[in-house]
Amino acid sequence: MGSITLSKVVKRFGEAEVIPPLDLGIRDGEFVVFVGPSGCGKSTLLRMIAGLEDLTEGNIEIGGRDVSHLAPGDRGLAMVFQSYALYPHMTVRENMLFPLEMAKVDARTARDKVARAAEVLNLSAYLERKPGQLSGGQRQRVAIGRAIVREPSAFLFDEPLSNLDAALRVNMRLEIAELHETLGSTMIYVTHDQVEAMTMADRIVVLQAGRIEQVGTPLELYEQPRNEFVAGFIGSPRMNFIRGAEAERLGAPTIGIRPEHIRASRESGLWGGRVSVSEHLGSDTYLHVDTDVGPVNVRTAGEFGVHRGDTVWLNPDENAIHRFDAQGLAL
Amino acid sequence: MRDTSTAFRVKKALGYAMMLAFLGFSLLPVVWVVLLSLRPATALFEPIWESPAAWTLDNIRSIARSDFPAALLNSFITAGSSTLLALLVGVPGAFALSKRRASNKFFASWLLLLLRMAPPVGFVIPLFLVYVRAGLIDTYAGLIFAYTSLTLPFVVWSMWTSFNQIPDELVEAGLMDGASLGRVLWRIVIPAARPGLVAAGVLSFLLAWNDFFFSLIITRSDTTTAPVAVMNFVSYASVDWGAIAVASIALTLPIVPIIVLANKYIVQSLGGAVKG
Ligand SMILES: Nc1ncnc2c1ncn2[C@@H]1O[C@H](COP(=O)(O)OP(=O)(O)O)[C@@H](O)[C@H]1O
Ligand SMILES: [Mg+2]
Repeated sequence: MGSITLSKVVKRFGEAEVIPPLDLGIRDGEFVVFVGPSGCGKSTLLRMIAGLEDLTEGNIEIGGRDVSHLAPGDRGLAMVFQSYALYPHMTVRENMLFPLEMAKVDARTARDKVARAAEVLNLSAYLERKPGQLSGGQRQRVAIGRAIVREPSAFLFDEPLSNLDAALRVNMRLEIAELHETLGSTMIYVTHDQVEAMTMADRIVVLQAGRIEQVGTPLELYEQPRNEFVAGFIGSPRMNFIRGAEAERLGAPTIGIRPEHIRASRESGLWGGRVSVSEHLGSDTYLHVDTDVGPVNVRTAGEFGVHRGDTVWLNPDENAIHRFDAQGLAL
Repeated sequence: MRDTSTAFRVKKALGYAMMLAFLGFSLLPVVWVVLLSLRPATALFEPIWESPAAWTLDNIRSIARSDFPAALLNSFITAGSSTLLALLVGVPGAFALSKRRASNKFFASWLLLLLRMAPPVGFVIPLFLVYVRAGLIDTYAGLIFAYTSLTLPFVVWSMWTSFNQIPDELVEAGLMDGASLGRVLWRIVIPAARPGLVAAGVLSFLLAWNDFFFSLIITRSDTTTAPVAVMNFVSYASVDWGAIAVASIALTLPIVPIIVLANKYIVQSLGGAVKG
């Protein structure tokens, strides 16, 4: 039903090739996240699936049907935009009724569907309000409500949470994940925030300059990044990269080690250095250490009582070292 | 504390004084014309601040008997039709320019500006020559088309600006919801741009309503509009100032309710405020 297949999809804006030939298969019911730095083509790719951008080349199938040349409204998809894109002059109810009206659903059924969606999304009390009278989180819910009433075969989200404050973002993340559990529909979710990607995705597609760098489950990307880009992009705080003699000694032109895989000690260790910044969160301590092999970030569980200027020793976990060749590919 | 508040009051008072002065200055001619319109012909050239021997409605009666009411109706028909035509064609055009991709938008904007800026004298002569051959002289159709050459570029230009303030995502959301482009325009974009639309409609109507030049060249008698008909009160022998005063009031009065009703939208649209 909601499987989506992109074959040799290309997008050019004039001369600029934003998406070089790209293949991707998304299974029915999967929660897939497109993640990558801003400007890498995530939105463009999503909009091509939606039908809001033409394909320069290639084709797209949804549920086995070639939709490459269908209008956006005929693809059976629903989209939630970053700005919510609620119709400002319509009430919440009218906003949610609109897609049903366009689909010529009879008025009674439509009202029931809207009532049910409103209940699920805690919007029942706000149905007669205009979008201007709602908070950001409520607007986001209306946008989601407008998407679910159509019962689309897949949902497309383009950075839907980036206009919300941090606390609300975490809440909405959970709500969207729950929605996915309940509906079981395919969802494609675009974000530049790798934490969102890691927490929500069944599979993550990491993009850079329109190319797919790696596709995999969050843990696959974390444990076996295919290259330096993915290794650096996934995981927070960022993986440390060490080059030169020390890297060669450990068996590769470049080695990568995640901050959580380094043990800090006041007495002894492989790399010695001076603390330049220490962040004490209670649950964790983040240390930025200037060592002989370059700056290294360390994350230790619990409180670790050192301060700027103190000397610390660092012990990387040998088994957690990632090795990359000169081209940045994992060895 | 006290000082600033006194200074503030003085400033405020000064502001009001200036506003009143400006209001008085701009309303003076209007008051003058009203006083003029109620005077008998014999008292027209007495000082305006002196009350005449008798006030009269003669001027109004003579206007009512003249061709002027018909000319007023002509003005309504032609300005109204031209505005409707301009909205009907111009709004979808502006929508396309604002929300669809096209390679020659620069050319379109350039052409529109040219049409907006060029003085009507520039095309009234060729228009006249074509109209003579096409039999459009002194017809409603002829005048409406001529006015549309003013109102259409205006409507396209101003609605283009209005539509640009409406986020593209609103259009895209409509398309995703299964609406056709026409539906998106009618159900989503136009309601969201209503202040701009009202302003464009009213100002376009005024553009045609206030025209003198096109009507002077293109009409003879049947379709003469009010501003030209006013000139009928000027003859070789005399100028009927009383009638002219009444006529100019009659030309202004219909505008007042329109402006009052549309004022809210015009201010909003000039302020560029479309709530997202
Ligand atoms: N309509 C367009 N015309 C020209 N270039 C565009 C257009 N839309 C996007 N781009 C370019 O395509 C690239 C990818 O954009 P986008 O998909 O929005 O990135 P992302 O969503 O990952 O931040 C950017 O370099 C952007 O400048
Ligand atoms: Mg984007």
